[in-house]
Amino acid sequence: MPRTSTLECPGCPPIRALTFDVLGLVKVTEARSKEGGIPKVVDRWGEPDSSKCILAASIDDRKSGPLLAIARKGGMIEILNPLNGHPCLSISNIIDNGPQPGDDAIVGLHLFKKQNLDLSSRSRTLLTCTTKGNASMRSVELTSSHADSTSSVSSRTWNVCASGNILCSQVDGNENYALFGGKGVEVNVWDLEQGTKIWTAKSPPKNSLGLFTPTWFTSATFLSKDDHRKFVAGTNSHQVISHGKFFFYAQMSSKENNILLVPEMQDFWNILRSSFLPLDPNSANVVRKQGSDVLHSTLLQRIADVRLYDISAQRRPVISFDFRETPIKAVAEDQDGYTIYIGNGSGDLASVDMRTGKLLGCFLGKCSGSIRSIARHPELPVIASCGLDSYLRFWDIKTRKVLSAVFLKQPLTNVVFDSNFAEEEVPSSVVDPPTEAQNTNETQESDEEEVQPLKRKKKSSKHSGSKKPKPKKRSKKAQDETVDDSS
Amino acid sequence: MGAKRKKTEEVGGDDEVGGGKKQILPSMIKNKEKRSAVHAKLKHQKKIEKRKKAKAREAAEKRALELGEEPPAKKIPHTIENTREFDETVCKPDDEELFAGNDADEFSSILNRKSDPKILITTCRFNSTRGPAFISELLSVIPNAHYYKRGTYDLKKIVEYAKKKDFTSLIVVHTNRREPDALLIIGLPDGPTAHFKLSKLVLRKDVKNHGNPTSHIPELVLNNFTTRLGHRIGRMIQSLFPQAPNFGGRRVVTFHNQRDFIFFRHHRYIFESKESKQGDSKGNKDKDAKGEKSSRGKVVARLQECGPRFTLKLISLQHGTFDTKGGEYEWVHKPEMDTSRRRFFL
Repeated sequence: MPRTSTLECPGCPPIRALTFDVLGLVKVTEARSKEGGIPKVVDRWGEPDSSKCILAASIDDRKSGPLLAIARKGGMIEILNPLNGHPCLSISNIIDNGPQPGDDAIVGLHLFKKQNLDLSSRSRTLLTCTTKGNASMRSVELTSSHADSTSSVSSRTWNVCASGNILCSQVDGNENYALFGGKGVEVNVWDLEQGTKIWTAKSPPKNSLGLFTPTWFTSATFLSKDDHRKFVAGTNSHQVISHGKFFFYAQMSSKENNILLVPEMQDFWNILRSSFLPLDPNSANVVRKQGSDVLHSTLLQRIADVRLYDISAQRRPVISFDFRETPIKAVAEDQDGYTIYIGNGSGDLASVDMRTGKLLGCFLGKCSGSIRSIARHPELPVIASCGLDSYLRFWDIKTRKVLSAVFLKQPLTNVVFDSNFAEEEVPSSVVDPPTEAQNTNETQESDEEEVQPLKRKKKSSKHSGSKKPKPKKRSKKAQDETVDDSS
Repeated sequence: MGAKRKKTEEVGGDDEVGGGKKQILPSMIKNKEKRSAVHAKLKHQKKIEKRKKAKAREAAEKRALELGEEPPAKKIPHTIENTREFDETVCKPDDEELFAGNDADEFSSILNRKSDPKILITTCRFNSTRGPAFISELLSVIPNAHYYKRGTYDLKKIVEYAKKKDFTSLIVVHTNRREPDALLIIGLPDGPTAHFKLSKLVLRKDVKNHGNPTSHIPELVLNNFTTRLGHRIGRMIQSLFPQAPNFGGRRVVTFHNQRDFIFFRHHRYIFESKESKQGDSKGNKDKDAKGEKSSRGKVVARLQECGPRFTLKLISLQHGTFDTKGGEYEWVHKPEMDTSRRRFFL
C-alpha cells in the first residue's frame, strides 16, 4: 500500500468567510454543520477581469446593515452588501489633478463602524490610502435605492508621507487613530479627528558594521482593540550580519581557487549560494586564524522582523523579533491583546506572544504560497489565511492545525470573516445571517438570541475582546429594525 | 542446538503447509543454510504459480478469440502515475476562471502573438568549464536568444537592463562545482521567476548519433502539465519560444513532465513510408536515426536526437522578478508537503 501520511482534517465550526482575488471576484465560503463541516464555496460575485483586481477590503459586520467595502485596481471603491453581493455604491477614488490610478494604487481601506445616528440618511465613512501617500477620509451617503450612486457628502484628503511608498495602513479599534507605514516610510500614527500626525517611529540604530537596515514595513496592526498606543509592524527582509565560528578543514586549490569543504561548512555555503549573495570565498571576509582550523567568519543572512512599538514609551521598537527570511506580508492580532499571527512570503504562518517576543508556534499545513491576509474570527478560535497559492485555509488556534483548506482558483489577496453567520435548527434550509436584508420566514431576532447563548455556553466567553459591543448593538437592532426594514 | 533445529523444522513445516501468508518469514530463521533453502523454495513456488496464471490467461484469451467472444479484460498494473493522489488543483477544460486567468497573466501577450519572445541568457558570477558549452547549445535550441557575459552585475540590474532592451525573458544558468545545476527563468517585465534544478545534462557531442539542429522555429510539445501550477509553468516555457512553428523544418522540442521532473529533449524527425522490409525514404536523410518510433500504419516517423538532454525540477516560483529581499513566493517546495509518494505538484 502506498505510504501516506495524510492529515485527518477535522471539520470547521460554522463559519462564513469572504475572499477576494486578483481577478476581482468575491467568493463566499461557508461551513455548515456544527462540528465537522467542510467549507464549500457557495457563491461568487463579479466577473473575472484582471483590471478589477481587488487590492483591499474591509467589512463592517454588524448585525443590522452589514457592509463590505472593496477597493479595486482602477481606483474604484465599491460598497457591497455582504449577504448577497449586491452593490450599494461605487465611488471612484481618482483625483482630477492627481496621479493616475495606475501608479497610485489603493493600499489600505477601512470602513468605519461608527455611524452618525442623527442624520436621517445613512452615511458611512471610508478611509483610503494610496501608495503615494494620499490618504482620504470621505463620508458617503447610502441612499435607500441600491443604485450605483456616486454621491459623496464630504471628503478630506491629506498626504501621509513625503516620499516613499505606503504599503500598510490600519485603523485602531476605537477608530480615532490610524497608522501608515511602507517602503522608506517610517510608521506614523495620525489622529483622525484632528488630522495631525502624533507619532513617528525611529529606525533601530546602526549595527556593529555600520550597516543600516532600510525602512521597509510591509504590514502592521494595532495590538488590541482598546489601546491605540501599541502596535506591531512587520518588515521586509534585510541583511543581517551574524558572526560565527565554523570548524572546518580548508584547502585552497590553486587551479580553481575554490575551497574544498567538509560537510559542516556546506550549509554555510548553501545559505550563501541560495541567497545569491556577492560573497567571494576567496575574499577578505573569510579569515583564517593561524594554527587552529577555526574559521571566524561573517555570515550574511536575510531576516525579516516583527517589531512592537509603543507610542507612550519611545520611538524605537520596544521588542523586535526575527522571523525567517521572506518579508512578513500579513499580521493579525488576537483578541487577548498580546498574541499576533504573522504570515510571510513563503507561506509560513506563526503565532507570537508580543509581551515577551517569543514564538509560540508555527502553523504547519502545506502552505506553499505567500500569505497575503490573515483574519481572526471574532468569536471562534479559528483563523483564516489566504495567499498566492489560491488556497483558503482555516486553522485552529489552540492546536495550530489545519481545520480545512479550500481551493479557490485564483491567487487571493484578502479574506474577511462574516461573523454573523449562525447555525439554524433546521439544517437543510439555507442558513443566512440574521439581518433584515434577506426575506426569511423565521424570526431572526429569536434565532440569534437562541444561538448566541448556546454558543456562549459551549465556548469560553470572549466578551472582552469581541469586536462589536454586543449588548449595545442588540438594543440598537431592536430600534433599527423598524427603521431599516424599509430597505 | 536442539532447540534451534526444532524451531526451524517447525517453521519449515508451517511454511510448506501455509501459503507463506502467516508471520513465518524466511527472515525470521536464524540459520543461514536453512533460511536460504526456505527462501529458494518460496521463490520457486511463486515462479510456478506465476507461470500457471500466465498460461491460464493465455489459454482463456485464445479460447475466447476462437469462439469469437471477447477476451477477458487485461489487467492494468498499478503504477505511481496511475495511483497518483487526487489533486483538486488540476485544470479542468471548462473552467472559465482558468481562461480569464490565462488572459490576465504575464505571458498572454506573447502567447497571443502580440509580441515576439526575445531571450537573454547569462550565467552566474563564477564561470566554469561546462557552463559555456551548455549555453551555446541553449542558444541553438531557443530561437532569438542572446548571450551576454555576466560580469559582476547584480541580477536586479540585469533585469532592468533587459527590460530596457525589450527582452521578454531572462535565463540564468547557475553552475556549481563546474557543472550547470540550476536554471532561473525570469519573465519580463514583471513576470514570475521560476527556479529549476538542472540535472542529468548530456551535451550534444555526448549523444550517440546526434544530429545538427537547423534554425527553423521548432514545434513545442508540452506533456502532462495538469495542475494549475503546472499549467502556469507550461505557459512560461511556452513563452520562451515563438508561437509560429515551422512544421516544414521538422524540428521538435519536448518538455515532458512526469512525477514533477521535466524532461527536455530535442529531436528532428522525418516521415517514412514503410511498406515492406526495405524502407523507402521520403525527403532527405542525414544520418542513421537513433530512435525509431514506428506506428502500426504505413507511415512512420523516425527521430534523430539533436541538442542537449536534461531534466529540470521546479524548486520555487516567485511572484514578480527575482527578488530575494521582497520576494513573495507563489509556490515553494516545503518538506512538509511530501506527505505521500503519490503526490505531485506539477
